[in-house]
Amino acid sequence: MIPILILSIFSGGFAIFSIVAGSLSGPKRFNRAKLESYECGIEPAPQAFRGHRLPVKYYLTAMLFIVFDIEIVFLYPWAVAFNKLGMFGLVEMILFIATVFVVYAYVWRRGGLEWD
Amino acid sequence: MDITYYLYLSAVLFTIGAVGVLVRRNAIVVFMCVELMLNAVNLSLVTFARMNSNLDGQVIAFFVMVVAAAEVVIGLAIIMSIFRSRRSASVDDANLLKY
Amino acid sequence: MAAADFTAPSIAYGALMPVLIPAGAAIVGVLVDAFAPSTIRWRAQVVVALAGLAGALVACGILAGEHHVTADTAISVDGPALFLQGTIAVLGIASVLLVADRSPGMDGGAFVASAATTPGSADERASIRSGRIQTEVFPLMMFAVTGMMLFPASNDLLLLFVALEVLSLPLYLLCGLARRRRLLSQEAAVKYFLLGAFASAFFLYGLALLYGYAGTVSLGGIHDAAVSGQHNDTLLFLGLALLAVGLLFKVGAAPFHSWIPDVYQGAPTPITAFMASATKVAGFGALLRVFYVSFGGLGWEWRPVAWGIAIMTMIVGSIFAITQTDVKRMLAYSSIAHAGFILIGIIALNKSGLSGSMFYLLTYGITTVGAFGVLTLVRDPDGEATHLSRWAGLGRRSPLVAGVFALFLLALAGIPLTSGFTGKFAVFSAGVSGGATPLVIVGVITSAMAAFFYVRVIVLMFFADPLEDGPVVVIPGGATSSAIAISVAVTVVLGVFPQPLLNLANHAVPFYH
Repeated sequence: MIPILILSIFSGGFAIFSIVAGSLSGPKRFNRAKLESYECGIEPAPQAFRGHRLPVKYYLTAMLFIVFDIEIVFLYPWAVAFNKLGMFGLVEMILFIATVFVVYAYVWRRGGLEWD
Repeated sequence: MDITYYLYLSAVLFTIGAVGVLVRRNAIVVFMCVELMLNAVNLSLVTFARMNSNLDGQVIAFFVMVVAAAEVVIGLAIIMSIFRSRRSASVDDANLLKY
Repeated sequence: MAAADFTAPSIAYGALMPVLIPAGAAIVGVLVDAFAPSTIRWRAQVVVALAGLAGALVACGILAGEHHVTADTAISVDGPALFLQGTIAVLGIASVLLVADRSPGMDGGAFVASAATTPGSADERASIRSGRIQTEVFPLMMFAVTGMMLFPASNDLLLLFVALEVLSLPLYLLCGLARRRRLLSQEAAVKYFLLGAFASAFFLYGLALLYGYAGTVSLGGIHDAAVSGQHNDTLLFLGLALLAVGLLFKVGAAPFHSWIPDVYQGAPTPITAFMASATKVAGFGALLRVFYVSFGGLGWEWRPVAWGIAIMTMIVGSIFAITQTDVKRMLAYSSIAHAGFILIGIIALNKSGLSGSMFYLLTYGITTVGAFGVLTLVRDPDGEATHLSRWAGLGRRSPLVAGVFALFLLALAGIPLTSGFTGKFAVFSAGVSGGATPLVIVGVITSAMAAFFYVRVIVLMFFADPLEDGPVVVIPGGATSSAIAISVAVTVVLGVFPQPLLNLANHAVPFYH
């Protein structure tokens, strides 16, 4: 109970400190871009299709992200049962990660990670 | 609360997804309806895991999520390619294949 | 729910070699694509894929006669699994040979130069001029083979689902990679993908309900729960029905067959050959295992529905095939009819039903690969000449190719002295001994109807006048020739001298779980 309490005080305190310190110390020069919903990336458009079509590279990045992101889900059960699975689990997990890494190497070599 | 309510909710979600696949015209929306069906299944799985008091159902839900993600990627790639050739993602416009 | 006590499962890697070798070949293929220079990529991919399939076939041969239930009962490598895995390896070799052919007559092969280019764009023309080709075809095929190898060996619904997706996802992509008529091909891919994902959602819901019913997803556990009869039967029957929808979709049984003609027509022909043969073998392998192991004790409950599906499949396949004007679509409908015949073997629910179905799958698969292989040879300037009218009089101009195609058609029709006859005989006699005589009668009648349209094509090829501007029959490269030669040899040998293989199939039964 006590560690959680201390942790939440620390995290809450850090969040408040960051916001306050940022607003006090940073320069305040407004321009139009800062009023957008997002400061980077695409401009939010009323119609995604027809008028302003999104560049394909966003989809590519999104697809790569989904695949590599979701593979990690298998690490959690393995981590929970790590002590009982022992060497067997470690070897299997290394094989799994190696397979994912092969795909990563493919994407990298064939230019999937190049933005332009 | 009665745990079977989750099963009813899951059945309703699954049905909404299935009906959506059958009536919607945009390939992306059809595909999202399939995802809804998969997530309805996940809800059933974790509920049954609770009812049977074993963890298998939760592990299966992980597998379903991963497979669904892989399916999203494949599906988006295919739909993107046909969209770029036809400028339309409507499943009704795709009508070259018949007798 | 405390974490249950468990011990790490042991995995008999030796018994899994038929699955692991193609998986390894697929991963090596991805590495080849990543690091090999583009000049040698195609050749290297062909070598890797063929080596992987040959390795898997050898592994099946070494393991023959053994049975292992491994990975915490999730995988059962037993006689039927090994028989079907060997079959898939052979069909995979033949299909890879068809894919690999880029001899001059083939006009660049069947696959797109760069799938990312838009059809009709300048990019596309540039990519064709540069002589590039999408070498990812081979790793994708090997991933699909991995799933197919796992599919009939899965002793657990979760693994069955994973294998189903591992085999389906690459096929969705492969369907969209045709070099010519790309819009058609992409449309086939979208259709196959959306319907396939829809069907696997049903499969999954069935899995969830059966898990709720039995508290386990292992086939043996579901069998035990069903026999004890102490649970909620609604879950059992709903789950069984939804599970069956997913599996019947994969094998193309009516009323879940609507994708087959469209997808078979739009996909590149070597991939159609691969799908029509190997996917069907894997799908029926899984259907056989699920129904024989888990639901064998409930035969009385599901058989009436299965009868209806089998009858409908046979009739739909045979009748619609008659009305087709496209050779690829005709073969697609014939594959639906064949799915109906094999369903008789499942309904028989006895040892000879199992061995007969496995034998039938082998004979049907080999003949189908050969028939689609011949299709790749008859070409118009804009690709394959698949319209039936273009085949008129082919037998006079190219008697050899037309003769080979006629042999395959006769085998598909089930004429004696071809492998198709022995296969049909094995399944039909199992059906009679399993108490499905009316079904067998329907089967015989629809076979006769089907023979009509096969013979119609033969008559057209040999007795109609050749067209003035008829299609060219290209001289096949070594790869296509060997694939077709293998098919011809197996079709004839199994028609004349089937006993050794029938014995092999008989020794392979039953399932272990």
